Amino acid sequence: MNAATETPFREQPLLEVRDFQVELITDAGIIRAVDSVSFSIHRGETVTIIGESGSGKSTTAMGILRLLPEDLAVLSGTVLIDGVDISADPKAIDKVRGKTLALIPQDPMTALSPVHSIGSQLFEAIRIAGAASAKDKDALQARAVRLLEQVHIPTPEKQLKKYPHQLSGGMLQRVLIAIALASEPQLLVADEPTSALDVTVQGGILDLLLELQEQRGIGILMITHDLGVARLISDRIHVMKDGSFVESGEVQQIVDHPATEYTRTLLAAVPVLGPWDETPADARGAHAASGGSSATTTDPALTQTGAKP
Amino acid sequence: MTNYILKRLGQGLLTVFLTVSTVFILIRMAPGDPAVSYAGPLASNEQLAAVREQFGLDRPVLEQYWIFLQQLFTGNLGQSYSFQAPAMQVVFERMPYTLTLATSAILLTAVVAIPLGVWMSRRPDTGKEFGVNVLTIAGQSMPDFWTGIMLLTGFAVLIPLFPASGFATWGGLVLPTVTIAILQIALISRMVRREMTNNLAAPYLTVARSRGVKNSVLTWRYAMGNSAIPVFTALGTRFAAMLNGVVVVEVVFAWPGVGSLIVRALETRDYPLIQATVLVTALLAVAVQLLIDLAYPLLDPRVRLGKAATA
Repeated sequence: MNAATETPFREQPLLEVRDFQVELITDAGIIRAVDSVSFSIHRGETVTIIGESGSGKSTTAMGILRLLPEDLAVLSGTVLIDGVDISADPKAIDKVRGKTLALIPQDPMTALSPVHSIGSQLFEAIRIAGAASAKDKDALQARAVRLLEQVHIPTPEKQLKKYPHQLSGGMLQRVLIAIALASEPQLLVADEPTSALDVTVQGGILDLLLELQEQRGIGILMITHDLGVARLISDRIHVMKDGSFVESGEVQQIVDHPATEYTRTLLAAVPVLGPWDETPADARGAHAASGGSSATTTDPALTQTGAKP
Repeated sequence: MTNYILKRLGQGLLTVFLTVSTVFILIRMAPGDPAVSYAGPLASNEQLAAVREQFGLDRPVLEQYWIFLQQLFTGNLGQSYSFQAPAMQVVFERMPYTLTLATSAILLTAVVAIPLGVWMSRRPDTGKEFGVNVLTIAGQSMPDFWTGIMLLTGFAVLIPLFPASGFATWGGLVLPTVTIAILQIALISRMVRREMTNNLAAPYLTVARSRGVKNSVLTWRYAMGNSAIPVFTALGTRFAAMLNGVVVVEVVFAWPGVGSLIVRALETRDYPLIQATVLVTALLAVAVQLLIDLAYPLLDPRVRLGKAATA
């Protein structure tokens, strides 16, 4: 975060997206889910795309990672990941997946194969990263334990033998972050990494992401509908609505001086009580529509979470 | 675990007992007289009465059932009328043939249906997949006696590659195996495709893809690893069903198994033989089902380890 201001922008960005567009082929016809968005992320920076359900924010992230079904999604525009143009050559994504690029998924409970142990899935990521060979069991084990320690999982040796259903959502998300870190990625794409978790563990996961970013200077693309999350973690925010950015800027500027009505509505939707927003999106929409009295940018809930200026 | 096994074993034995009891009553309610079959159509009433007395068929049904129950616990179900040998022995002599046929049919099914289903799931909405899809529907729709006769005509009569009947050489195994497997392959491959399609779209697969896991590993280790449980269950259940005798196919190919045996036993109203066949096949089916249940924990850690407390 501070690194962002220290790092000169002349440096090649980790992620550069220009005129990115996603068209989804549906029964009802072709839908332009993402309409010419452009942004970039530098080393040590967190850029957040915030918007309601259906605004196209997750589709943007999945499109950049080329994880949308190939026969249903048509991508156009330019995406450069650490200088590798993955939009021109679809195979180029294989060069960055599991190497410079990693995904932290939305729902940790369904993001690991239920019939394979935590250890086997972590070992696999370590092998793909080339950090240890499959034959060197001791090196794999040592590396896996160190990764789990880095995400603050207690008794890592024991957890490696466990299966996903034996861990809580918060622990699983830590495991998934450890798996993502196996390759020492430069860029993390976090697709609503806390929205499926209990309020009490959400803060811990975000703290962990901030800590890792500080240690390693990785860039983070954060997708969220939660302004509390965005405010805590972001350097810059892009507000997304109906597939395009309606507003972009520094986090403080967006929060203090929202330029569009949509952003004001999003801000107004933050509840007064509790530091983290766990209300479903539609309930918040109704709350905002009813003229919720919490429409204030000096919401104590936001500042209490240790949000950065 | 021991409790679980004992419980399933108890349930299985109860199932077998109810099955043989039902069959005992049903064959006596069905038309036809074992004495007529045994003594022939020209036998006098006195001869028929003598035969009935010899087989104990002149006694009240309840008394016959009591005798049957005693036999059940000694494992000796009496003499077969038509074979003039202990009924259980006759069944045991036939059992290896049915076991051989069922095993080879289920192996062929697994070897063909699993790769075929996986292949279909990975190429949805292509011309080739459509073609295979149509073939599996055809395979599902062809009655096995028809398939059997077509294969007999084609590969035993017109092009005499394989023997037409019996099990004198290993070649004799080919046509009956293929006849059974065609239907099973059609059913199982469509099931594999359905399971694989679901698992290939599961969130954990997308996440694994995002970390650079190769397509072949995603397909076989991830999607197949998660599809294995229902597919294994289906294969096991079908195998258990085949042990009851693949009746039609055994008759078409004059296969000396339990299937053709029970047809003959029913035709001659050979009560002890019918009861012995039903007892043995029901026991085997229950045993296979129990083995499937016991294999679940090996395939699925959620069954093996239960719902553990959250960490």
